[in-house]
Amino acid sequence: MAEFPKARDFFESSRAAVGDHELRRKLESASARHLEHFAEVKAEFPPYDDERDAARRIKTDAIAHLDELLIELASKLEARGCKVFFAEDAAQARGYIVELARAKGAKKVVKGKSMTTEEIELNCALERAGIDAVETDLGEYIVQLRGERPSHILTPAIHLSKEDIGQLFTDKFGIAYTAEPEKLTAEARSRLRAIFLNADFGVTGVNFAIAETGTLVIVENEGNGRMSSTMPKTFVAVMGIEKVIARLEDLSHFLEILARTATGQKLTTYTSFITGPRREGELDGPAEMHVVILDNGRSSMLADPVLREALNCIRCGACLNVCPIYRRIGGHAYRSVYPGPIGSIVSPNLFGSAAGYLPFASTLCGACKDICPVKIDIPRILLHLRWKESAGGHALRWPRAIARARRGARRFAKMARHPRTVRVLGRIAAMVLKPFAHNGYLRRMPGPFGNWTKYRDFPRPRPHKRPAPEVERPPS
Amino acid sequence: MAEIHKIIASIKDALGAGARSNSHAAAASVAVPVAPSAHRAELASTFARELEAVGGRFLGILTPAEATNRIVTLAGEIGARTVALGQGVMSDMDAIGEALERADCRIVRTIPVADTERAAMRERVANADLGIAEADFAIASTGTLAVVSTGDRPSSLTLLPPASLVIVQIDRVMANLAEVLAELGAGGVAANRLTLITGPSRTADIEKRIVLGVHGPKSIHAIVVWPRND
Repeated sequence: MAEFPKARDFFESSRAAVGDHELRRKLESASARHLEHFAEVKAEFPPYDDERDAARRIKTDAIAHLDELLIELASKLEARGCKVFFAEDAAQARGYIVELARAKGAKKVVKGKSMTTEEIELNCALERAGIDAVETDLGEYIVQLRGERPSHILTPAIHLSKEDIGQLFTDKFGIAYTAEPEKLTAEARSRLRAIFLNADFGVTGVNFAIAETGTLVIVENEGNGRMSSTMPKTFVAVMGIEKVIARLEDLSHFLEILARTATGQKLTTYTSFITGPRREGELDGPAEMHVVILDNGRSSMLADPVLREALNCIRCGACLNVCPIYRRIGGHAYRSVYPGPIGSIVSPNLFGSAAGYLPFASTLCGACKDICPVKIDIPRILLHLRWKESAGGHALRWPRAIARARRGARRFAKMARHPRTVRVLGRIAAMVLKPFAHNGYLRRMPGPFGNWTKYRDFPRPRPHKRPAPEVERPPS
Repeated sequence: MAEIHKIIASIKDALGAGARSNSHAAAASVAVPVAPSAHRAELASTFARELEAVGGRFLGILTPAEATNRIVTLAGEIGARTVALGQGVMSDMDAIGEALERADCRIVRTIPVADTERAAMRERVANADLGIAEADFAIASTGTLAVVSTGDRPSSLTLLPPASLVIVQIDRVMANLAEVLAELGAGGVAANRLTLITGPSRTADIEKRIVLGVHGPKSIHAIVVWPRND
């Protein structure tokens, strides 16, 4: 796997993204629209909160019995003629799929939308083996044409305008320029339709796997999942170990909330229940079906009692849409396949300590926790990861900073015991700093205080008065 | 295989040897309330409203004979020259096929195929202007059609043609998803591929604007039919 980007890269990319007003406009309008839809469907569905509790309970329970459920799932799938492969890490998973595609003589692989295959960087591996990987979800198709990664786990091309996409299609296909989403979609449809009808190898992700029945459930709107799982001769489903739930009756609780939270729909357009390869005489379905069940760091999350909760995630993407950080910097700045609040939890566990800076990219405002359909306490887990990151691992950087912070806090605590000293110092500071302030804020402070103003303005101290009323902040 | 043991072992380790909540085994399965038949018409009208809300078109609650006529009219409306038709669940699809043929439509009947005929059959279904299928169930609260696919009722019928028509028996319109899953049962779901269809294929990938007909049909029409012996 490519080396995970450094924290420095994140600072650079996020700073650049914050300055990109066009990107910000797109993200804001997309998020606003999402929240509007969500509010509507939530209002007309009174049991929403009960369903959230039920979904959380079921998922927590399934995670607590993961070993048993996986064994049950695998045996049910095998009984129905599927080949099941447990992959410890990304390399094993993509190795298996590439080997299989090669053995089948596949020249082209059609892919339904799947974050897990992004995680294992399947496309790169296929291409290195001389096999074409074609993304068929419209958004994924667009970002693939641009040679980019998705910037949102649900709407991969959220960072692009229709004009960008129109230009892209003109450049790539030589068609007359149009920025009409209908025409662009029709163009993609006809191109991909031809590929689908001749596809001999398909790969998709999985949203839920029902242990009791050995059924894989795929949720989508476009039909790319249906196409990728029914047209090719060989079909591979890739799922993380945490996707398994115990019973069929558990499923409706998730489906009732997933689409509502994710896209503001009551149910997604297509929900496919797949139990195995096609049988004698059937027109649709693969002749051969493989299921790759991926660990890749998930069992280490399971081992940590605080982190374990994050395995409840059903990848609805809502926490991205409400996150003040995501809404300002977009998905690419995170430099991880999984951006946003949940991405900041998952990434360090999937990609190792190199992604350890991500839990710090949060204001801990809690909007993610409030919207999460399975009520994952994201801020708590982020704090836990910050603590982990500070305590261990990077012996070079964080402990020294922590020690400094502690020393500072102790000194302040000592001083704060003498109110008069605080008042006098405050008055002096107010006097000294006054000439440097603009509109009540300091943009730069000297010495160690500069660490504060590096990233935000400091309100000018004003003793003897109540805190200054909120004034319009100068753009920093 | 070695990997499964390794992974299951590491999961076991991670979960710890400590006591687990036993709710997994103990969780009671809640009986799903099934609406009495008097509510069927009400459910059907809720279904109609929800289907239209997601961009589908509801053609009415009709007798089998009316439904056949309505389908012929629809084929005319959308200019369908070729219609792909699968076997029914309860309905007589042959009658529909014959009526369409009398109206000069070419009919592609989906029958179980050998491996060598698969590509040709798929091509024919994909080139049809309209695909007709019968759903096993409908879900009122979401405007959803639940279609089980088998040899003579392939999933392609509701996926490949640009327009899709689905009929469903009125006593198979259920209140919600949980009821449908309960009705199908674990055995029913495990037996065949099941697809829940809620409106036409759609995307919001370009500036969150909704566009219909990405890979699946651009339009979906539904008819609820009264039982045959009415």
